[in-house]
Amino acid sequence: MERPFIEQDAGLPAGRHATSAERSEVDSSKPLSVPLLSIARKVAPPFSALAVAVALWEGWVRLRGVPEYLVPAPSSIAQRLAEDPSFFAGQGGVTLFGALAGFALGSTIAILLAIAMAHSRFLERSLFPLAIMVKVTPIVAIAPLLAVWFGFGLAPKLFIIALIVFFPVMVNAVVGLRSVNPWTLQYLQSLSASPWEVLVKLRLPSALPYLFAAFKVSIPLSVIGAVVAEWFSGDEGLGRVIQVSNSNVDMPTAFAAIVSLAAMGVGLYLIVSLVERRLLSWHESAIDT
Amino acid sequence: MGNGLPPQVEARGLTRTFRNNGRTLTALADVSLSVAAGEFLAVIGPSGCGKTTLLRTLGGLLPLTSGSVRIAGDTPIVAGRAKQIGYVFQDASLLPWRTVLENVRLPLEVNRRRALKTNLRPGRLLELMRLDEFRDYYPRQLSGGMQQRVALARTLVFDPSLLLMDEPFGALDEITRESMRHELLRIWQSPLTNGGRRKTVIFVTHSIAEAVLLADRVAVLTDAPGRVKAVVEIDLPRPRTEETESSEQFQRYSTELRSLLRGT
Repeated sequence: MERPFIEQDAGLPAGRHATSAERSEVDSSKPLSVPLLSIARKVAPPFSALAVAVALWEGWVRLRGVPEYLVPAPSSIAQRLAEDPSFFAGQGGVTLFGALAGFALGSTIAILLAIAMAHSRFLERSLFPLAIMVKVTPIVAIAPLLAVWFGFGLAPKLFIIALIVFFPVMVNAVVGLRSVNPWTLQYLQSLSASPWEVLVKLRLPSALPYLFAAFKVSIPLSVIGAVVAEWFSGDEGLGRVIQVSNSNVDMPTAFAAIVSLAAMGVGLYLIVSLVERRLLSWHESAIDT
Repeated sequence: MGNGLPPQVEARGLTRTFRNNGRTLTALADVSLSVAAGEFLAVIGPSGCGKTTLLRTLGGLLPLTSGSVRIAGDTPIVAGRAKQIGYVFQDASLLPWRTVLENVRLPLEVNRRRALKTNLRPGRLLELMRLDEFRDYYPRQLSGGMQQRVALARTLVFDPSLLLMDEPFGALDEITRESMRHELLRIWQSPLTNGGRRKTVIFVTHSIAEAVLLADRVAVLTDAPGRVKAVVEIDLPRPRTEETESSEQFQRYSTELRSLLRGT
């Protein structure tokens, strides 16, 4: 709505600009719809789908009389959550903190390495195979060792999450840092811009859409990484809760922890999406979403 | 060189070869050009004749295989660092995350080791370019012609004495192109951008009408490898308007250039 298409100049936008201009023309017809209604339209489908799934689950467990130690009904999971919200919030906080810290660590290392690799084919050729080896290492296989290496607590958790987050962020960052408009790059060179100026003014902003695509993939992965770490070498956190309640055959608690994790993953994903829309309002992917 | 000023661009024996799959391709062969300060030179030739290569070597973006270029006595690299050379490419090459005004400011934020003696206020420049009300728009909200005007404003903002323009209107439709030609002439002649001295312009094009309307002289290049086949002086009075385009002289120059190009 804040981007009307300008028809003055009678000039049709050239080449790739044509499509975006056409889209922004379509865009200008949108403000007619009421904001509240459009929010409801966005929110209604996922929530109704969720409601239907939960209802089917509940009905199936009740009708078939599935025992609670196999699959607990949604109602008993909800009851468990309602009984002890501070317990799940506290354990969830531990997991959330670990996930965010590991995500930040892994992404930072990935972006710094990607900057180096985007500037040097030699570094890229040397480091990429190593990065792939790191990627294919089954985390679950080395996770028990981590307790031996790093002990319990935050250190093994950060290690595992950073390892998981690293690869998608690095691959996308290298592509993003390289995918600059060659004309713009030449223009900056004609101004005798330094490599640092090219990085800050052109390469990093150009890489943002790629980085956010990677963040959307890796932020839920960082929650999984935190759970795996807590499972093998944790003394607290939702992963530890699931492991303990599994061995106690306390399925409502285990499932309540899983539901908390799901909510955390969805919430983190939404936050990344919101930040993305804020920062990338100029980008074509932000139009009409 | 007509106006008696010393040459601003002096190119001697420019040669540039490219190596491709073991074969050597000559893009430019022994091109010599001299352009006076304040002169508008158009370079025209069949596509693939090395026009763009010529412009890039003149501006120091591409090293020469042999030959020499002097811009007001300096090498292109030195002149470029001193912000004496301004480019406009066929692609407007604006930063999509910056507004019009922020795009125009870009050259002032880059390479600041040398303080600029002169620079034009971005706001005044946008007024001159009739872009003032769009200063807070993003590039993709603008038409191709307007984007190209922003690109021109962005280059004028640091007041270079030499403008290298590489088919700047090549991607625009015919109607927009025609209005952009007159717009360029208007801005080139405006006292705000020339400070009493017109900028030297080297303008690469494949449009005969564009070359005749804009230029003081037109250099015709041959097919690859590019050589200067002829230099035609366009003796049409300025300011040139729509009427100039329908004059008999204009037609005669166009015919002359056309036959020169056909003979290549």
